[in-house]
Amino acid sequence: MISLAGRDILHAWGKFVFTGFGLGLLIGVTLIMAGVYRGMVDDGKALLDNSGADLWVVQRDTLGPYAEPSSLNDDTYRTILAMPGVAQAANVTYLTMQVRKGEADVRTMVVGIAPGALGATPGWPPYLVAGRQITRGHYEAVVDIAAGFKLGDRIAIRRNLYLVVGLTRRMVSSSGDPMVFIPLKDAQEAQFLKDNDAIWQSRRRTEANPAFNRTGVPGLLESVLASQSTNSFVNAVLVRLKPGHAPDDVADSIRRWKRLTVYTRAQMEGILVGKLIATSAKQISMFLVILAVVSAAIVAFIIYTLTMDKIREIAVLKLIGTRNRTIAAMIMQQALALGVIGFVVGKITATFAAPLFPKYVLLIPTDSIAGFFAVLLICVLASLVAIRMALKVDPAEAIGG
Amino acid sequence: MKGLPLQRRTLALIAVIVPLLALFIYVGLRSGPLAPVAVTVANVESRAITPALFGIGTVEARYTYQIGPTFAGRVGRLDVHVGDRVRAGQVLGEMEPVDLDDRVRSQGSAFKRAVAALSEAEARQVYAQAQARRYEQLFTVHTVSEELVTTKRQELQIANAALSAAREDVDRARADREGLVAQRSNLRLVSPVDAVVVARNADPGTTIVAGQAVVEVIDPKSLWINIRFDQISAAGLAAGLPARIALRSRAGASVEGHVLRVEPKADAITEETLAKATFDDLPEPMPPLGELTEVTVDLPALPAAPVIPNAAVRREGGKVGVWQLVDGALRFSPVVLGASDLDGFVQVREGLRSGDQIVTYSEKALTGRSRVKVVDQIAGVAE
Amino acid sequence: MSGKGIRIEGLRKRYGQGDTAVDALKDVNMVVEPGEVIGLIGPSGSGKSTLLKCLGAVIDPTAGRMTLGDETIYDNGWKVRDLRALRRDKIGFVFQAPYLIPFLDVTDNVALLPMLAGVANAESRQRAVALLTALDVQHRARAMPAQLSGGEQQRVAIARGLVNRPPVILADEPTAPLDSERAVVVIRILNEMARQFETAIIVVTHDEKIIPTFKRIYHIRDG
Repeated sequence: MISLAGRDILHAWGKFVFTGFGLGLLIGVTLIMAGVYRGMVDDGKALLDNSGADLWVVQRDTLGPYAEPSSLNDDTYRTILAMPGVAQAANVTYLTMQVRKGEADVRTMVVGIAPGALGATPGWPPYLVAGRQITRGHYEAVVDIAAGFKLGDRIAIRRNLYLVVGLTRRMVSSSGDPMVFIPLKDAQEAQFLKDNDAIWQSRRRTEANPAFNRTGVPGLLESVLASQSTNSFVNAVLVRLKPGHAPDDVADSIRRWKRLTVYTRAQMEGILVGKLIATSAKQISMFLVILAVVSAAIVAFIIYTLTMDKIREIAVLKLIGTRNRTIAAMIMQQALALGVIGFVVGKITATFAAPLFPKYVLLIPTDSIAGFFAVLLICVLASLVAIRMALKVDPAEAIGG
Repeated sequence: MKGLPLQRRTLALIAVIVPLLALFIYVGLRSGPLAPVAVTVANVESRAITPALFGIGTVEARYTYQIGPTFAGRVGRLDVHVGDRVRAGQVLGEMEPVDLDDRVRSQGSAFKRAVAALSEAEARQVYAQAQARRYEQLFTVHTVSEELVTTKRQELQIANAALSAAREDVDRARADREGLVAQRSNLRLVSPVDAVVVARNADPGTTIVAGQAVVEVIDPKSLWINIRFDQISAAGLAAGLPARIALRSRAGASVEGHVLRVEPKADAITEETLAKATFDDLPEPMPPLGELTEVTVDLPALPAAPVIPNAAVRREGGKVGVWQLVDGALRFSPVVLGASDLDGFVQVREGLRSGDQIVTYSEKALTGRSRVKVVDQIAGVAE
Repeated sequence: MSGKGIRIEGLRKRYGQGDTAVDALKDVNMVVEPGEVIGLIGPSGSGKSTLLKCLGAVIDPTAGRMTLGDETIYDNGWKVRDLRALRRDKIGFVFQAPYLIPFLDVTDNVALLPMLAGVANAESRQRAVALLTALDVQHRARAMPAQLSGGEQQRVAIARGLVNRPPVILADEPTAPLDSERAVVVIRILNEMARQFETAIIVVTHDEKIIPTFKRIYHIRDG
C-alpha cells in the first residue's frame, strides 16, 4: 500500500512546507514564550545560586534584600559569625541603578561584595568568562557580559570610575538586569552618594540651617557635613553554614537571638518566584494558553482547508472502495506531518531567536518535548473535524447527476 | 521507487528537508543541557609573584598652621590670598586696633604726666631737704624751736615718700604703655614658617572670636598621604616600603613615595588599617589637599611557587579548589591558597603541581558531569 | 444466459415515504452478459443515475434483486456485508469526468485499487502497467493526471475501472468531455476491453454520436 498522505504532501509539498513554516513560526513564538517564563524563573534562581549563600539575614520583618529594601548595620555580620553553625558571613549590598556606558546608560544591579578569602566569601561571582576577580579594595569591577562592557573599560558609578577587570555570564538580578560587582565599601558609598550636584545642594541646605551653622562654634558645620556622607549600612548578610548544620535550625537561632529576619534558600526561592515574578508568570501562561488555542485553530483550519480541497478525490476514493480508516489515516498523517514540520521549524527559530531577546530566554528540553507532544495532540484534535467531514462525504457524489 | 518525473521534486524536497533536519539536530545537541560547556584552560606555572597592597588615601598636610588673633576683634587688613607663598616671619595681615592706638597714646600721656609728677615730687623733695637742713642748722644755734625742726623733718619724709610714689607711678605708666604696645604688635598676623596659604577664612572687617583662624597656611614640604588599607589585605604593611601613589587628577601616572609609618590605631568602625606615606619628590604643581589617591605598596617578591589565575578558583561542595582537566575529564581539586598579587595571580600551597592543566574561565558553572569544550576565548568576550 | 454478467430483476428505488414517496425506478429488469457493452439511455431525470448508483452499491435500492456473476448481491436488501470491498473488487467505475486522484501518477492511480485490495505494491503496478499498455497509454505511465489530455485521462480511468478484473463496469457518460472522434475511440476501447476481459459494461449516455455503436440499448423512461 502506498502512503496516500505522503503522496498528497509530495504532490503539493511547496504549499505544505510553506504552511508548515508558518505554523512553525507560531510554534516558535510559543516555545519562546515558555522560554521567557523559564528565563524569569532562572534569573531568580541564578541570583540565588550566584550569591552562594545558605542563609540570607535581612532587616527584621522585611522580604529583603531582593524583593524589599532592607538595611542592616555593617557590623551585624560579626555577631552572626559568632552563631553556632555559621561558617562564613559576609556583608552584601544590592542597588539597582543606571550605569553610564559611553553615551547611553545600562540598567544594572550593583553588588557590593565584602573583601575576604578568595573563593570562600559568599557574594562573589562564582565563575568568570574573562579577566580576573577583584584584587584591589577599591575601584575595580567585575561586570556581567550582558551589560556590554569590555575588559579595561571604565565604568562610572556615581562619582567614581571603576576599571572592569573581569567579566561574568548569567549574573543577573531577579529582573534580569546584569550585575556589576564592586568592592563593598565603594558600593556602600555609591548607595548613599548622590551626584555631585546633589551633594552640593545638600551641603548648602545644611549650611542654611542655623542649628548647624553657628558662628560661635567653629567646626560644627564640618562635623555635621562629614557625618552626612558616611553610610555604615548594608542590605543583607550572606551566611554560609558549616557542614552538618540544618539551615532551618541555624536560621531559627539567628531569628531568636539576633532578632533579625532570616531566609533559607527555599524560602528565598519562594519569595523570588512566588512574589516577584508571580504576576508576570501568570501573564505569560495566559499568553501560552492563547497561543496554544490560536495554534490549534490554525492547524484545524489548515487541515480543514486541505481536506475541503480534496473532497472530490475523497468521494472517488470511497467509491473505488477505500476504507474510512485509510482516509482518516491520510488526513491525520498530514496533520501530524504538518505538526512535525512546524515543530522542527519552531524549535530551530526559537533556538536561534532566543539569544536576540534582551532578557534571558531559557529553552528547556523537557519543555520542547512537552511542546512536541502538545503540537501532535493539537494536530490530532484539529484533524478530527476534517476527518469527520471527510467521512460524511457520499461516494455517490463522484458519480454525479 | 519514484520515477524520473518525480526526481527533481524529490531533490528539491531533500534540499529543504535535509538542512532543516541537520539544523534541528544541531540545535538539539548544541543548545540546552546537552551542549558542552565552553571553557578556557591554563597551566599551573611556577614563578615568583610580587604581592602588593592597595589602599586609598587623601593628600593631607602634616603641619597646618592656623593663624589668628588671641582675642576677639575685627580684621583690619589681610595682605595674602589663598595660594600665596609666604616666608617665615612675614606679616600676613593685621587685626584692626580699634581704640588700642588711642589707649597707647593715652598711656603715653599718663606716662608723661607721671614723669611730670615725678619732677614735681623731686622738686618738692629737694626743697623739703633744703628746708630741713637749714632748720637743723638754725636749731643747732637755737634760733628756731625744736617743734619747727620736727615739722620740717616730717615734711622731708613726706616729700621722699611722694617722690618714690611718683617714681613707681612712672614705672607703672611705662609698663602699661609697653603692655599696650605689645598687644598692638600682637594684632599682626605673622607666618611662623615658609608656607603656602591654603585658606583665608575672614576678610577685612570681619569680627572674629579669640582663637578663630583667619589664615591657614601649610608647609608644602610636609605633605603626606593618609592611606586606608582594608584590614584583610594589609598583611605585611610596614614603614619604609616603596609605594606608588596615583593621584586622582593625574590618572594613569603614579608618583614614587614610601610608607612613612603604620598608625598604631586602626579604624574599628570601617575595619581599616591606617598608614601615612610621603612623596619622594613633591609633585609639581602641588596636589590639592584632600585629593583622592590610590596607593599601591609593593611587598618584597616571594620565591617561585605554583601560581594560578584567581579566576580559576571555584567553590564546590563547601571546598575551595579548582577544576582540573585530566585526560579531557573534569576533576575538582581542593587547594590551599597562599599569597596573591594585584594582577590576579595567587599562589597554591597545596593541591596542584606545576604543569597541571586547570580551567580558568567557563561559560557556565561546572559540575563533575559537565562535558567541556576547550576554546581560546569564551564566546561573547570581545577584546 | 450463463451465470456470469449482471442481472437485475424488479429493481425498485423509492425516495421518501408515505404520500410523498416518489419511485425513481420501478421494476427495472436488465441482463448484461460478460463481454457485452450495452448502452443505457434516457432523458434527464429518467433514473439512469439512480440505476447506476444502485448497481454501484452506492445507494440502497428499495426492492428487487441484483445478481453479479454467480453471487446475488441484493435481494430486498444487501447480501454482501462489505459494500466497499464489493465496489473495489467487483465493480469498475468510469466517470463522466475522469476523476483521477491528482496527487498520484498514472500508474499509481490505476494500481491503487489492487493495493487497496491488499495486493503487493509491485504486483499492483505490474498489473497497472500491463493495462496501460493494453490501452496504449503506457508512455504516460509516470505522468501526473494533470499532464494528460482528456482522452488519455479517460483511458487511464478505464484502466482503473478494469484493473481489478471486475465482472461489471459502470460507465457514466464516459464520452461527455470528448469530441465525437475520441468518443468513438473510447467506446471501441470499451468494446475491446469487454471482450478481452469478459466484462459486462454498462454505459450510461445521452450522446447521440455513440448510440449506434452499442449492440444493445436499454431505454429508461420514468423508471
